[in-house]
Amino acid sequence: MSGLARLVGGPADIGRGPVFWSLVALTLLGFALYPSAVSEFQVSNTAYYLLNIPLGLGMALLWGYCGVLSFGHVAYFGIAGYSYGVIAGNLSDSPSGPVVGALGGLLVSAVVAGVFGYFVFYARVQKWIIPILTLVLTLLLETFLGQTAGYQWRIGSVLLGGYNGMTGIPSFGFGEFEFQGTSFYYLCLVLVLACYFGLRMLLNSGFGQVVVAIREDELRTETLGYDIRARQWAVFVLSAVLAGLSGLLYVQWGNYITPSQVGLLQAALPVIWTAVGGSTSLLAVVIATFALNWLTYTLSSEGNQYAMVIIGALLVVTMLFFPRGIVVMLAEHLDRLLPRARREARR
Amino acid sequence: METQSLVLSLLYQLGTSAAFFFLAAVGLIIILGMMNIINLAHGELMMMGAYTATIATHAGVPFALTVPLAFLVVAAFGAVLERLIVRRFYGRQLGALVVTWGISLVMGQGTLLFFGPFMPSIKIPGGSFSYGDFSFSEYWLVLIAISVALIALLWWLYNRTTYGLQARAAMQDATMAKSLGVRTGRVYTLTFSLGAGLAGLSGALIAPTATIAPFMGQQFVAPAFITVVVGGAANVIAGAVGSATLLAAVKTPVGMAFGAFYGTVALLFAALVIIRIMPDGISARLQRWFDRRSRSGLL
Amino acid sequence: MTTAPMLETRRLNKRFGGVVAADNIDLSVETGELRCLIGPNGAGKSTLFAMLCGIQRADGGQILLAGRDVTHMQAFQRVRLGVGLTFQTNRAFHQLSVRENLAIPRIPHDAERRALGAERLAVALETFGLDPEDETRAGELSHNQLQWLEIAMVLSGYPDLILLDEPAAGMAGEETARTATLLKRLNATGLTIVVVEHDIAFVKEVAQSVTVLHQGRVFAEGPVEAITANEEVRKIYLGKA
Repeated sequence: MSGLARLVGGPADIGRGPVFWSLVALTLLGFALYPSAVSEFQVSNTAYYLLNIPLGLGMALLWGYCGVLSFGHVAYFGIAGYSYGVIAGNLSDSPSGPVVGALGGLLVSAVVAGVFGYFVFYARVQKWIIPILTLVLTLLLETFLGQTAGYQWRIGSVLLGGYNGMTGIPSFGFGEFEFQGTSFYYLCLVLVLACYFGLRMLLNSGFGQVVVAIREDELRTETLGYDIRARQWAVFVLSAVLAGLSGLLYVQWGNYITPSQVGLLQAALPVIWTAVGGSTSLLAVVIATFALNWLTYTLSSEGNQYAMVIIGALLVVTMLFFPRGIVVMLAEHLDRLLPRARREARR
Repeated sequence: METQSLVLSLLYQLGTSAAFFFLAAVGLIIILGMMNIINLAHGELMMMGAYTATIATHAGVPFALTVPLAFLVVAAFGAVLERLIVRRFYGRQLGALVVTWGISLVMGQGTLLFFGPFMPSIKIPGGSFSYGDFSFSEYWLVLIAISVALIALLWWLYNRTTYGLQARAAMQDATMAKSLGVRTGRVYTLTFSLGAGLAGLSGALIAPTATIAPFMGQQFVAPAFITVVVGGAANVIAGAVGSATLLAAVKTPVGMAFGAFYGTVALLFAALVIIRIMPDGISARLQRWFDRRSRSGLL
Repeated sequence: MTTAPMLETRRLNKRFGGVVAADNIDLSVETGELRCLIGPNGAGKSTLFAMLCGIQRADGGQILLAGRDVTHMQAFQRVRLGVGLTFQTNRAFHQLSVRENLAIPRIPHDAERRALGAERLAVALETFGLDPEDETRAGELSHNQLQWLEIAMVLSGYPDLILLDEPAAGMAGEETARTATLLKRLNATGLTIVVVEHDIAFVKEVAQSVTVLHQGRVFAEGPVEAITANEEVRKIYLGKA
């Protein structure tokens, strides 16, 4: 296999061979044609399901591939969203405001994750401490943002808005052009593809192999000459940036954000998507994130008050009966059913 | 007189704060220390205790009786949880974290559906008295006393009873304990049930001072888990006492000067700094100190 | 000018609670030496290894690698200076393939070390009959092959000194002989080797010099013939085993 083919088709994720890639191409074609077949409202909803995928991918990278669990990745989602709102809102007269805001949002997420990650990874804390501290961080962020109501809580001309949240956040765009409706949908689609294939290649590279080795056996990997603290830190920051990307897209989608986006219920969602999909497969998490966002939306828009109970119960059931993830286990089942010829082609 | 009352008031603040940390964390600590399971449904178990006490009080049961009732109800619920779900996750720490989080979501949302968004709270029993310029709540003084009594009771339970000995043996080497005839499965059920019951008891005790709502458990997440993280798992009771005291000493002055939110922020920073210095928590440090003392014949 | 020993410890101390695991250990291994560490159970061999590679901190004393003080370095930093080690229980990556296992170690930039390291790795792969492109999952290998894979994996990082904790544990006669052959062939390329081993026949086969640890102390040290003939050494071994 040539270099690029090996990076994309390597063993880091499920799905190989001509049948698989044909299916991927067909699905993509479907997504590309989708806006021309449905209403603008449906396009906007689908864009919402798509924009959560980078957050899910970040969780899969951190939890499934690196073995580090974070219960507070929505903090970076929120930090990027609020930072974008503040920067782009203050630069609303400048045509480059949204771009500066987007870069600023990702940077602030990365810096906060970097400082936090320094404390936990360089202390070599036990594995269970990281999810707890990340959860505490996001709860604190929610509390802080919740008490920022009133005129005294403003940065430049932008109000933080307390529990009512920040409103009137500018859409993303270049100069005169704004991403809205269908163009925003395509923006999300392209970014999701870039994140997925980028991560798939990263995890098939030497870096990814070491990340997986750390998950399997930290001590053995360290005694092969790797600074595992630095690797875990880097993966943590990268996954926070991915969460930040979802946060950016979220505030551009609805033009608002509230503190509940970094609250306990939201914090649980990426963990649920990742667990239900199967944390050791990027593709499975992409599918689960999309499907569960659709499910949550459909359940709650029908006025079903059991939505969150169902989602929580789904997590418990998955952990009990499908510990490797529902999508991953279905994929393995499918793989066994397919003819032997396909398995040969995979090699 | 004035300095005396100031010192007393400061001690009182520290004491209530430390008692709060200890009560918020005690059930969690028992389960972590004895089973190596981090129970993220801990806050919801406290909520369940608070609901039990509140509903019983409104039904006319004297508050003092609702506290043991909350212990029993939540302990029974904990035993069921352990039998049905938690026991499949022994030895899988991260899996246990995730599944208990799922349980907490279902409990919180279920409570919201069942009992609505809030419940009339119960008033704080006992009055208050003043000394110098400061006033002291009798109820909080009782809570401090109960915390001290709980510490003594747990110490006795784990060091002087057969159950305690078996639980500690099962924790250190389950296979060996089993081969000596310890029914480790039953020990784990009892331990989880005890931890859950203590969470319920704490929830009931704190109920009169809190707003009773389905998501009230969330407010205990930060203090309880920070207490556990700082305390570490080497010697849970010593760790919990040490860490509750230390955290109270951090939070009380910051909270008094800048407000409750910044007190909690200071807590998180203190926790980050402490684990950077002592990754295994205060209890590991205390344990080494005790070991040295006992070797040199001082203890 | 005298060159510094490859590995040296000075008054190394470690205690766990009331147990003294290392009591002022002075050890000196010259470049190119093949040293065996022996001693009854609980003599402190594994603790010494853990301290040498940085998994455990010494309570006191110094560790020097080629004259350089590494006492306060992290494990990975020592590995980058040229140390490789295997563990008592096999820790090859069972979920990864043979090829991936061999591809994981970090390779030094120094061209000279690379050339020498590649030569040593080739010797190991040939002796053990391992294929570096093999896509078999390591978990499917036999016990012997896994032990060998871990040695080959460590050699893939091109170390100058390897610490092996019971490399022939659980192996039958023929495999033990192959492991011994490898150690001698590697040593002939100038690689410094320190081996913890229980099997005295194996030690006699491979070692030039032997250090005997007993109750955390260096009990005796010298050429292999002298040590195996030493009455005191026999006594502590027979007394225990």
